[in-house]
Amino acid sequence: MELQWPLILFTTFVAASCGLFAAQGVYALKGEAKEAQMPALWTSFVLLVVGGIAVFFHLQHWERIFNGFGHITSGITQELIAIVVLVVVMIVCFAQLRRESEMTKGVAWCAIVFSAVLVIVAGHSYMMPSRPTWDSFFGPLSLLGAAAAFGPGLFAAIASAKGAELGDALTGKVALVGTAANAVLTCCYVAVMAVAGGSFTQVGYSFDPTHPNKALQDAAAYGPFAGGAAWSTTIAIVAALAALAVAIVARKKGNWKVMGAAIAVLAFAGAIALRVTFYLTGGSVFMYY
Amino acid sequence: MTQYAIVTDVNRCVGCLACSVACKALNGVPVGNFWNKTLRIGPNPKYEGAQWPDVDMYFLTVQCQHCEDPECVKVCPTQASHKLEDGTVQIDKAKCIGCQFCVMSCPYGVRYLNEEERVVEKCTLCEQKISQGELPACVAQCGGRARFFGDLEQGIENFEAPYTVDITEGDPSYDKTVNNRIKLKDIVRDYSDDQVHMLTNVGNNPSFRYIVRKHIWRGEE
Repeated sequence: MELQWPLILFTTFVAASCGLFAAQGVYALKGEAKEAQMPALWTSFVLLVVGGIAVFFHLQHWERIFNGFGHITSGITQELIAIVVLVVVMIVCFAQLRRESEMTKGVAWCAIVFSAVLVIVAGHSYMMPSRPTWDSFFGPLSLLGAAAAFGPGLFAAIASAKGAELGDALTGKVALVGTAANAVLTCCYVAVMAVAGGSFTQVGYSFDPTHPNKALQDAAAYGPFAGGAAWSTTIAIVAALAALAVAIVARKKGNWKVMGAAIAVLAFAGAIALRVTFYLTGGSVFMYY
Repeated sequence: MTQYAIVTDVNRCVGCLACSVACKALNGVPVGNFWNKTLRIGPNPKYEGAQWPDVDMYFLTVQCQHCEDPECVKVCPTQASHKLEDGTVQIDKAKCIGCQFCVMSCPYGVRYLNEEERVVEKCTLCEQKISQGELPACVAQCGGRARFFGDLEQGIENFEAPYTVDITEGDPSYDKTVNNRIKLKDIVRDYSDDQVHMLTNVGNNPSFRYIVRKHIWRGEE
């Protein structure tokens, strides 16, 4: 299907925001890099707002958003609820940082848990039986992987920029685990997409008189390595692996200001590319209409 | 519970596109959008390696299948897409925010964004007609009398199509013309249960049925 850029940006920015906020929670639990807490909170909030603005460009009638809004089985409703909960946690976190310069462990755990929940919910919205390549839990998990890679990278970069002392053990470990999870989940989801091609309905030769020049539908065209999607899939995999490689190097050599930013950029670019593949391979199970 | 639907006797369909045209004309479907489309399936070899004339081909009319468990209704955040008591799936345009998740969730790609009104539209099963006891336009105008409308709960043999009006007897009025019907069981050739198919079902349970004898039904169910 056609690329839905507002949705691609929304899911990626949400993952970035949640990844950073969750990383902030991890550092708060360990009591490290306190100087970076407030800038990281503002950054994650801005990322969430940017994602929110992006998604409005997808809505044809956003002014009707509360016109009966709230159907609970809808992924969009679930996303909105998860976003509201996360914003509440951010506000509580903001209040604590203003008052005491650090957040409590309970709030730190909330930041981690509700960030993960929002990313999963945002990814789960697209799990539809009608689209074989989308209907896998590896979809939301790959988004969670992007968050896990992006967050620690950007937090380390912000902390370094603010002159905070980073415990190399924690920073290296979190970045390594996050980028490794991202690389594995990205590759797994690509593999799932490749296998899902067998679920498309095949009718042999067909013809649509309203589109006489249209080529025959071919399920193979919806593969992640088929012509249209090969470039984005390649970027997604290379970026995820490169982020992991940078994390490995950074763990040994430090320089988190540059390395952390590089991890964040690679994770973000990889997530965007994977979402592009997601749409390019997202044909409906009965793709002849 | 009522579940209105359409049964198409594929062996009677000649691919005239009258159903598609009638739908467009009656519902004012925008250029480029199709609430009802006629696809040609085939010619495909009847068996592996078969050459002409051992091929088969049929026409398949595709539109909203007014599913029993419609995914489009589940994903709609405002309940603009909803199911009526007659089993049809309808869209309340005033509630539609144009998120198009229903378009993505439909297995058959039969939902369209109306670019002018910026809301999603699809086949309504001519709700404006069936609520008054009339037949949907695609059934009423079918050139091969291949399409039948009715309640799935009453069995497809009781589905109805328009029938010839004998104007030499009785009342040759518009009402009589409109209301003269024939039941599926009284006009179509014999068929067995395994010759009644539905489009690919991914848990949405489409309501429409297709009777295919002689030909090989292409596609999973």
